[in-house]
Amino acid sequence: MKIRFLTLCCYFLMQSIWAQQIIKGTVTDVNKVPLPGASVLIKGTTTGSQTDFDGVFSLQASTNDVLVVSYLGYITQEVTVTSSVNYTVILQEDLNQLDEVVVVGYGTQKKAVLTSSVSSVKGADLAKEPILNATQALQGKAAGVQVIASDAPGQASTIIIRGLGTVGGSSDPLYVVDGILTGNINNLNTSDIQTMSVLKDAAAKAIYGNRGANGVIIITTKRGKEGKMQISFDAYTGVRDVLSRVKMANASEYVIYSNEGRLRDLRRDDDPNNDNDTGSFFPTNQLYDTNWLDEITRLGRVSNYNLSLSGGSEKIKAFFSAGLNDEEGILKGNDFRRFTLRSNIDYEISEKLSLSQTASIQLANVTPKIYGAFTTAYKQAPIVPVYDEQGRFGSAAAFNNVGNPVKDLFFQNEKQRFFKVQGSLKLDYKIIEPLTFTSQFSIESEYGRFYSFTDILGSFLAGNPANTEADYFRENPDRERTAASVTHTNHYNWFIDNYVTFNKTFQEAHTIKATFGASAQESRGESLTGYRVNVPLDANLNYILNAGDVDDRQAASGSLGVKDRLYSYFARASYDYKNKYLVSGSYRRDGSSKFQEGNRIGDFFAVSVGWVVTEENFMKNSAFDILKLRASYGEVGNQNVPLQQIVQTTGSGGFYAFGPNQALQQGTTIASTISPDLTWETTEEYNIGAEFTLFDYKLSGEVDFYRKETPDAIVPVALPDVFGLGGFDDHIGSVLNKGVEASLNWKDKIGEKFNYSFGVNFAYNENELAEVKSIFFNESIGGGINNGQYTKRVREGYPLGSFYLYDVIGIDDKGEFVYDDVNNNGLIDEDDRKFMGSFLPKYTLGFNFGIEYNNFDFTVDTYTSLGAKVYNGKKAQRFSNENIEQSVFNNRWTSGRPSNTTPIAFNEVPLSSDYYLESADFFRINNITLGYTLPDSISSFFSSVRIYATAKNPIIFKEFSGFTPELPGSPLGNAGIELDAYPTLKSFHIGINTSF
Amino acid sequence: MQKLIIKTTRLSITVLLLMLVTMFSCSENFLDVESDQEQAEQLSSDQSVELVNAIYNRLIQWSMSSFSWNGVSSITSDDADKGSDPGDTGADKHLLDGLLMDPTTLSVGDVWGEHYNANQRVTTAILAIQDFNLEAGLKSRLLGEAKFLRALIYFRLVKCFGGVPLISELSDISSDESLKRATKEETYAFIEQNLQDAIAALPEKSEYPISELGRATKGAAKTLLAKVSMYQGKWQQVKDLTDQVIASGEYGLTPNYEDIWKEIAENNQESIFEIQARGDSPTAGVQGYSVTQGARGEGGWGWGFNTPTQDLVNSYEVGDTRRDATIIFRGETLYDGREVPNTVVNERYNQKAYISANSDAWETGKNIRVLRYAEVLLMNAEAATQLGGDAATPLNAVRTRAGLGNIDNPTQMDVWKERRWELAFEHDRYFDLVRQGRAGDVLRAHGKPFVDGKHEVFPIPQEQINISQGLLEQNPNY
Repeated sequence: MKIRFLTLCCYFLMQSIWAQQIIKGTVTDVNKVPLPGASVLIKGTTTGSQTDFDGVFSLQASTNDVLVVSYLGYITQEVTVTSSVNYTVILQEDLNQLDEVVVVGYGTQKKAVLTSSVSSVKGADLAKEPILNATQALQGKAAGVQVIASDAPGQASTIIIRGLGTVGGSSDPLYVVDGILTGNINNLNTSDIQTMSVLKDAAAKAIYGNRGANGVIIITTKRGKEGKMQISFDAYTGVRDVLSRVKMANASEYVIYSNEGRLRDLRRDDDPNNDNDTGSFFPTNQLYDTNWLDEITRLGRVSNYNLSLSGGSEKIKAFFSAGLNDEEGILKGNDFRRFTLRSNIDYEISEKLSLSQTASIQLANVTPKIYGAFTTAYKQAPIVPVYDEQGRFGSAAAFNNVGNPVKDLFFQNEKQRFFKVQGSLKLDYKIIEPLTFTSQFSIESEYGRFYSFTDILGSFLAGNPANTEADYFRENPDRERTAASVTHTNHYNWFIDNYVTFNKTFQEAHTIKATFGASAQESRGESLTGYRVNVPLDANLNYILNAGDVDDRQAASGSLGVKDRLYSYFARASYDYKNKYLVSGSYRRDGSSKFQEGNRIGDFFAVSVGWVVTEENFMKNSAFDILKLRASYGEVGNQNVPLQQIVQTTGSGGFYAFGPNQALQQGTTIASTISPDLTWETTEEYNIGAEFTLFDYKLSGEVDFYRKETPDAIVPVALPDVFGLGGFDDHIGSVLNKGVEASLNWKDKIGEKFNYSFGVNFAYNENELAEVKSIFFNESIGGGINNGQYTKRVREGYPLGSFYLYDVIGIDDKGEFVYDDVNNNGLIDEDDRKFMGSFLPKYTLGFNFGIEYNNFDFTVDTYTSLGAKVYNGKKAQRFSNENIEQSVFNNRWTSGRPSNTTPIAFNEVPLSSDYYLESADFFRINNITLGYTLPDSISSFFSSVRIYATAKNPIIFKEFSGFTPELPGSPLGNAGIELDAYPTLKSFHIGINTSF
Repeated sequence: MQKLIIKTTRLSITVLLLMLVTMFSCSENFLDVESDQEQAEQLSSDQSVELVNAIYNRLIQWSMSSFSWNGVSSITSDDADKGSDPGDTGADKHLLDGLLMDPTTLSVGDVWGEHYNANQRVTTAILAIQDFNLEAGLKSRLLGEAKFLRALIYFRLVKCFGGVPLISELSDISSDESLKRATKEETYAFIEQNLQDAIAALPEKSEYPISELGRATKGAAKTLLAKVSMYQGKWQQVKDLTDQVIASGEYGLTPNYEDIWKEIAENNQESIFEIQARGDSPTAGVQGYSVTQGARGEGGWGWGFNTPTQDLVNSYEVGDTRRDATIIFRGETLYDGREVPNTVVNERYNQKAYISANSDAWETGKNIRVLRYAEVLLMNAEAATQLGGDAATPLNAVRTRAGLGNIDNPTQMDVWKERRWELAFEHDRYFDLVRQGRAGDVLRAHGKPFVDGKHEVFPIPQEQINISQGLLEQNPNY
């Protein structure tokens, strides 16, 4: 009707205006996707038109008329009419508009009136460079989101939002993909992502109740838009290699060092007669000089293809995509391949009713290889050959306990297959203005298959050339030659969410937006493992269990997990007065079957207020476009905590023999008890922040201060022995995180052709186990490095994941470590350990820079992490006759050349000390991308073609001497300890983005 | 097609609306999620016997009766040396041998912890069985067994540490009171009360069905109460109880002393209470008991700890058959024909821990004799020396078996000497010396730095003091 009216207007105007002509044009976005329904008006008049289904408009205009082209969410553009009759108008997406909408839990909010702390990343930015797992892309892009990246194929990054809030529970954020609450996004094709929002403060998270405390990452995937079908095809390929290699001693250096170590042993033992006995020394002329790292690694290759189709009519809109990712890891034999499919369809059934469907499938094939090979390669002596003269695997069995890593990889025969489906049906019903009812049913199901074949006899024989079959069968002639196992796992998750949304503005001043509803979720897992021995060596039969013999000990085993149920109510209401004064509150009540009766129902809430200062009259002439102040407080839970449900377990009390024939009788006792009070951990979080834009939206920024306390953190309790019960976990700790986040972004253009932007974001976090409320707190130790040494301890007043080590204060005149005897008792004992910092960084900093000139685009992203420590576990694990780093060799203490930093060559297991603790500070260029968009004249078939080259992690500045300062893991486990860790890789890619 | 879609949509809308209605309408109960998992596993009355069996099971544990216990109860004394190679400390056995233990000594901590672990099983069993509806005889017997075992545990604890926390309820862990140590007198009173109950409840050895051989008996409870009384100097009670045991006719001496520690003599007429051990698969033997004390080195079968001292060898009277029955000498041929070659590391080993079958196995069939009739006779004799009466008859019964001549008017010192020879390596000597009040004199003469007022008991483990925030108090001078 509107169009007809406008056309009619045009008709009358046409009669009266001189020298008019009919002009035509197309309105598209930057990706050449037509924008149907864009408005085209002649400036200063009411004359205008709207673009049609293909983004095309036509109207009568005179030369020098100015066309005003506008479209919701895009920057309005003005075009002066010339003698030409054809126009192409490309609209830039408007990132600063007041109307910008942010995805929040169970709905959306206008960014302008949002009173919570949310960081967003646009999907369009993710497609511009090669990113396999979207979690990686957050690194350095969102303040307060710490991303510990891993470059292992198929591996997700570890994300910690605003510091660790739990001692023993999971610190992973909750992921919400198109309304589906899930634990990870490994199944997600990065190219499918439309937006990513990171909910950081309680005001944003509280609606997710007992799963929100670690932060929430909400992802929406792309959906079809009205208009003709758009096809895009993206591909990239690249090579990957170890970024920082650790230089090991060569054969002659190894021999010298080992012999010096041997000499030291001889001089320190009880026998005075062997002090100069060189009989057991390595000869100096060695046949081999193996570089083990080179032997187990290769140039990694990665390639990725993605095809998507999208489009639709007024009623039905669809988006389909298929993606393939193929990676040969740098560790030989370690392969990863992932195939993803997606179908997102929106169907408008009537004016009131619409249905949205989302479905994705992931298939992944993995050939795993143990990353312990990196440690084995580090430690194995260079004098050992990969293969000896007879072609057998080289062995160091005669002088150390390290395997041949090439042999280890050779004998690891495993395959993994994963299949995951995720999907939902969502119904929106506009009951009556302003009420909308939404109902969504979602399922998620994941299947895993794990195949493993072990040539036990072959591995035994290859382990040491001296081993014979006779040795193997000596004890037991029926010993198994091979073993194979196949495990199937399955986990499902279903949800149903029903909610009503109310959205109305009264008297053009009072806007109320409210959402309330209910949700139910159930999940369960199961697994089944079969096991056979003496499966034939024939590669085709390796995983066929029936080809082998039944083994009594472990023929088959299966488990069916306990069904988890989580039923909830949730609500959120926000009010704003003329976009100026903002108030919002949210609430969730969760009932979770994970906990014991009486502890299942929890209430979570948040309240927040905001003041948009720039809406006040006195700010009308300030440089600020927008200045918003906001504050929030809320209590949010984490149900992923360590707990066993059973308060009291009865179990075997062992056996005891009675009677003359010593017949065994069974005993029964209480095997374990746990605190009956165990439930979720609750985080109390305060946040105050400001958001602003200045200078015509060129400069935007955000600052947040937060204080986040978990006053009921679960920590281990060790009961005194007199109670005769083992330890258990209880809510007796309090974990505190305090911090600041800030980000600044500048975006401008110079002339018509030069756009540039830069952004910086900064976060500071202070973590502490602030208080422990029970005298029976067990200061758990952790961070063991598998040689009897531990490195971490949990103690009140210190950050979680703190290293607890002996302090090396020097090297004495015999070349030995001198440790600080803190308690001055003349012994180096447990009490001499000190807290030496945590694996958690204090500061993280991202700096991003981008320019677009003509058809070129160029981006650089960097990431800096400061204040963390890393323990060189592989170095600290060195034992006799294992290799050393070349720097250790060069700097070692010798009688002729004393050193005060590096001790004499030695062979014992060293105490865990700060000698092995290094700074984890690093500055790294994460990404340099140069892209070129082909001019339209070249690519007439395509609507757009962009080619690019990317260098990922090309440069790192770090103090740490190892392979990577980014070491994910559990806080009391291997986080921040480099042992069996996958190195950080540098990679170089070329890619293409096309659409047609 | 269009129709189909609309139909399907209508159906799903209906379903969804129904679900919504259901969800809100039963809102009161909606959040009361059920769990498929049990909250607490309950003990049932069928498990009554098993609950008590579980206590016995603690007696065969490594820390309870084996390496650590040998360290604390035997290597400390003048009967035993640490043994093994000089450099092999067995974690801390050199410290115990030299009376150099401190609050961090591992073996002491093990003994403390394991006894309380066993006590937790006692508590669990007693509290559960009390409430069960059981046949009265069985119920009383099971409670009696548990109380006997509780008394055995606390008697060991009081001998090692003096007064200790008395835990007989599944205590509220927030209760500080339960961490405090009772006095030595209170601890003894607690032990006596449990034994009085056990005596009242338990059947005699002969009244048990043969299949239950090895369970605590009335005789065992009386013997233990006699010993507990002796430690408190309650001589009349010692005399009365031992008289009753002797008069019961349930027990007698094994004719040949050496036979007592052979498998054939397990649970024989001399046995009053012993820890039952099964060496055949499936095993339930005392973990490491035989192997840690077996001869070390080439031709040996064990680790070689807890070896008899020269002082013990020298102490025997000429002709005492107990010397060779107690001690394996390097180079000798044992009763089962095994030759102990001269290549073994130590000159002597503990023969009472030796077993012919599977001698080097982790769990062997070696029963540990805890209470036997010979000790009843010796307690009876000692009480007689204190109260007046016939000490000679019981003492000489023991001496006669050992191949020694009679003593007509034995003194207390005669009985004490006899106890050393008769009970060597039966975890008695150190505590006996302390009871006799001459531990300092004897052990210092033996070359150990015994400090009066300190070494009568062992240190409370420091870790436990720390964890109790000092509620648990250390013994003097540690």
